[in-house]
Amino acid sequence: MDIVAVIDSLHPLEIKVLTTLGARPPGTALDSEQLAAAAELDSSQLSMAVEWLLAKSLIAVQTETVTPIVSLTKIGEEYYQTASPLERVLAAAREATGTGKRLTIPDLQGQGGLDPSDVSKAVGRLKKEGAVLIIQGGCIETTGRPSPTTEILRTLLQQIHESSKELRSFTETHRQVIEDFAVKRGNAKEPFRVDERVSRSFILSTDGGGAAEQLLKQGMAEEVSQLAPDLLKDGSWRQKRFRKYTISLRPPRIGIGKKHPYREFLDTVKAKLVSMGFQEMRGALVETEFWDMDALFMPQFHPARDIHDVYFVKKPSHATAVDEPFLSHVAKVHENGAETGSTGWGYSFDVHRAKRLVLRSQGTAVSARTLAASPDIPGKYFSIARVFRYDQIDATHATDFFQVEGIVLGEDINFRTLLGLLNLFAREVAQAKEVKFLPAYFPFTEPSVELHVRHPRLGWMELGGAGLFRSEVTLPLGVTVPVIAWGLGLDRMAMVALGIHDIRELFTDNLELIRTTRGLF
Amino acid sequence: MPTITIFKDDLESLLTGDRDAGRDVSIAQLEEWLMLVKGELKGHNPETGELRVELQDSNRPDLWCCEGIARQIRIKGQGQLKPYAFFAKKPESPHHLIVKPGMEQVRPYVAACTAIGYRVTQKGLAQLIQTQEKLADIFGRKRKTVSIGIYQLRNITFPVTYELVKADDVRFTPLGMETTMTLSEILMVHPKGLEYGSILADKSLLPILRDAKDQPLSFPPIINSREIGEVRVGDEELFVEVTGTDLPMVMLSLNIFAANLADRGATIDPVEIHYPTDTMLGKRVQTPQDFGKSKTIRLKAIEQALGQELGETVVKQALEAYGYGVSAEKGSIKAKLPPYRHDLMHTMDIVEDVAMSRGYAEFTPVMPAQFTVGGLSAIEQLSDRSRELMVGLGFQEIISNILGSPDHYSRHMRLEGTEWGQMVEVDNVMSLSFSCLRQWMLPSLLRIEAASSRAFYPHRLFEAGDVAIPDGTHELGSRTETVLGALIAHATTHFSEIHSSLDVLFYYLGKEYSLEPIQHPSFLEGRAGRILVSGKPVGVIGEVHPEVLERWQIAMPIVAFDVNLSQLAAL
Repeated sequence: MDIVAVIDSLHPLEIKVLTTLGARPPGTALDSEQLAAAAELDSSQLSMAVEWLLAKSLIAVQTETVTPIVSLTKIGEEYYQTASPLERVLAAAREATGTGKRLTIPDLQGQGGLDPSDVSKAVGRLKKEGAVLIIQGGCIETTGRPSPTTEILRTLLQQIHESSKELRSFTETHRQVIEDFAVKRGNAKEPFRVDERVSRSFILSTDGGGAAEQLLKQGMAEEVSQLAPDLLKDGSWRQKRFRKYTISLRPPRIGIGKKHPYREFLDTVKAKLVSMGFQEMRGALVETEFWDMDALFMPQFHPARDIHDVYFVKKPSHATAVDEPFLSHVAKVHENGAETGSTGWGYSFDVHRAKRLVLRSQGTAVSARTLAASPDIPGKYFSIARVFRYDQIDATHATDFFQVEGIVLGEDINFRTLLGLLNLFAREVAQAKEVKFLPAYFPFTEPSVELHVRHPRLGWMELGGAGLFRSEVTLPLGVTVPVIAWGLGLDRMAMVALGIHDIRELFTDNLELIRTTRGLF
Repeated sequence: MPTITIFKDDLESLLTGDRDAGRDVSIAQLEEWLMLVKGELKGHNPETGELRVELQDSNRPDLWCCEGIARQIRIKGQGQLKPYAFFAKKPESPHHLIVKPGMEQVRPYVAACTAIGYRVTQKGLAQLIQTQEKLADIFGRKRKTVSIGIYQLRNITFPVTYELVKADDVRFTPLGMETTMTLSEILMVHPKGLEYGSILADKSLLPILRDAKDQPLSFPPIINSREIGEVRVGDEELFVEVTGTDLPMVMLSLNIFAANLADRGATIDPVEIHYPTDTMLGKRVQTPQDFGKSKTIRLKAIEQALGQELGETVVKQALEAYGYGVSAEKGSIKAKLPPYRHDLMHTMDIVEDVAMSRGYAEFTPVMPAQFTVGGLSAIEQLSDRSRELMVGLGFQEIISNILGSPDHYSRHMRLEGTEWGQMVEVDNVMSLSFSCLRQWMLPSLLRIEAASSRAFYPHRLFEAGDVAIPDGTHELGSRTETVLGALIAHATTHFSEIHSSLDVLFYYLGKEYSLEPIQHPSFLEGRAGRILVSGKPVGVIGEVHPEVLERWQIAMPIVAFDVNLSQLAAL
């Protein structure tokens, strides 16, 4: 064994124990108490040091003795403070005999704090010792004879209450009583507990002897564990030895400040969109059906506007107003197309219905508002909007979630520039080089496209939908240039990046999971 | 967006137009063809040949069936639609259907035809029923505007009448029953009566189709007669009728059915409908009938929308290969939809069909070239700065649902009946757990605390996000504002710990603030403050009330703040 390496690895507590043993004649054995006193350690420090040294085989156990120790249980303390069942039964019997009352076992059992098994045990013991008699009718009478057990028990309660004692310090008779009234398996309701105290004595092993000798010899550049400011101020670190650490151990864990991984993902998307020249739009969580659907040319009888698809607001149920001239323009377009060149849906538009308040059901509502608010031309806009769907929640459906969507306005907007924009999204957002454009259907765009991309990790996936806004959408809102409407479905990408399989985990309440999730974006 | 089940061999034989000479089509080829109909293959069972196809276009009911999908693909291969002769007006109809006065109050329109010579097969019957269901359910708004009946022709004596009767005056054996029932019994007892009866809820007289011998054909839109209205495998002579409240939709549905049966080999003969008064198609209407009109669009408009010069010939070819009738002259394209379509609302709809017919892959993407400046809204910038600072202060960001329960947002917070407990509530509640919008952030943070007592402490959490604050003066009845909430939880936390965090945050946001003691039910009295900036309240801070913690079953002291960033930004 490399003595130097051993010494370097020693903790100051271990050094104290080794040098304490090493300073005595070879072969000296010290027990724990002696060692603790000599090495000036408290018992917990000593037991740590001893276990470490035993594990390194630098000391060995010389002797091991087991000493039974008696102490009072909680019940014992109670007996000590008040009276034992024996005392209580005896006292009651004496009182009954003195006053001539009849005292039966059931009477005793009725007394507070005494349970039936205590009573029968006590009566049995007193009867055996001849201190009481059971006469006809089950009545208990005293005989006037003493009960030695009762008296011994009182003495013992007193002595042991002062401090726990070794069992063998008691006389044979007393030991018998202790054993009779000690906690045993299956009977926890007893006043005494007998524990075994293991006492060991230790000697140095051969290696330990060598290490101790070396330690005593090197006498003593004092070892320190911490480079403290004082040591630097007076330069005294030069006279110190620094204990070497076991640096291969896992460090303690710390709590840190950190973004939520899903927000981090959305932040990267946000940054991408801004870098591509998109302005952020904001909208309200509560929206009128007008901006959520009517303005997007979804007829009021559209199946997706059903009570089972959209959350309606209870109070107030309707907005006080919807801005003109948009309301009348859109109403006319729904009815007969007005000046948009469309036939319209050919039904009678319900203005009251348009004011009905809903929880925003699609991010495109934010774009519709922007169209009506004199947007820049050319202009590019995006929003990351929370939307609400009337869905049963499961691994793929959430009641509220983020939609990433937006618009692009400009004279040069057409079907091919739409495809160009989608190409850009594919490259920038999904790092995809291969794309497929599939015909799609949205109520508010024509032509409509679904963008499928080959994601480097996910393979072919649907990244989003887009199209050119119908004139029925743009013209009534005052926009005369072509407009691309686009939306990206990023939750699947996010879930893969975060390593989760259930959409509900995006909003998990499990802090441990949030803290430990790493996004691979 | 219906999803339908079709069979591959059925589709293959419809593709060639020859029932016995089907060809084996690969799944890859099929998926490519499905782009022509905005269809997506959702499932394929190679053993049974069963295909599940989702059709996206809710304005193209003609595509929600095997025949329609095959037709669109077939036309592309053939370059143009082979016209269906039966859509052309004939001088004389073999059969007549009389509409009696009063129908306009209940279900005014009807269209019908006969189909002879197609022997119904097992798979064909399944397709007929599926088409009938999808059309009536989705296009016909659960039979409200359109419903369809199919019958054995040989049991019917013409003319058929469509009229109103009293609920107890007529009885017949409906499909699915063994005995005769009156119309009111059908409404009360028959499953279809229970399902669709509400369509006729306020009607004192009910519609019925009867033949010349007074035999009921059906009680539209509820149920057919079992004697006449049950089609079985092997039948070769069919009668089809459509009733409804919207004439174009009724006509279109019949046209689709007629084309489908013709594609399967049937000879279609028209039925002449005699209305008591004039309709938009006249008083006597022959059905099926091509009632659509053509639309004219300038070639330039198509080219501009597509961003590509195509020329008259290419556009004409593309539209013809998609089923249109086209004539082109002087830079204008006059386009007419086939009779089984009625979805041309705007000339742009023609543009998309040109693109689909040519295939989207034929168009080279071009980057939009115009320069725009990107940027974030002011509130998002403030929110992002605050988030950065909170992270620097050692807080873990969380993210929560906004839709939640009144228990969490108000009751657990001891806010019931207070101004802070006002929330935007949902009217059509599905589950109480998702029935109101959060009006502040602290409950979202406590939600995590309540679930994370085993995560090692201290806990420092924050979330920046939207809340909805009820506001009677706002036209939407509420304001959506962005709020930052933060909390600290550990055994020895106290007010000054969260106060320090707030202090640092506001220092770097450049906002001078002061605290004013406040009595807020969610916080311990004497340890809660209103945060004021320029004398205006922007939030609250304090030690969370132990009763709040008890209600959340949180056994750890918590200090927290809630700052309204929207209001802060305005100061």
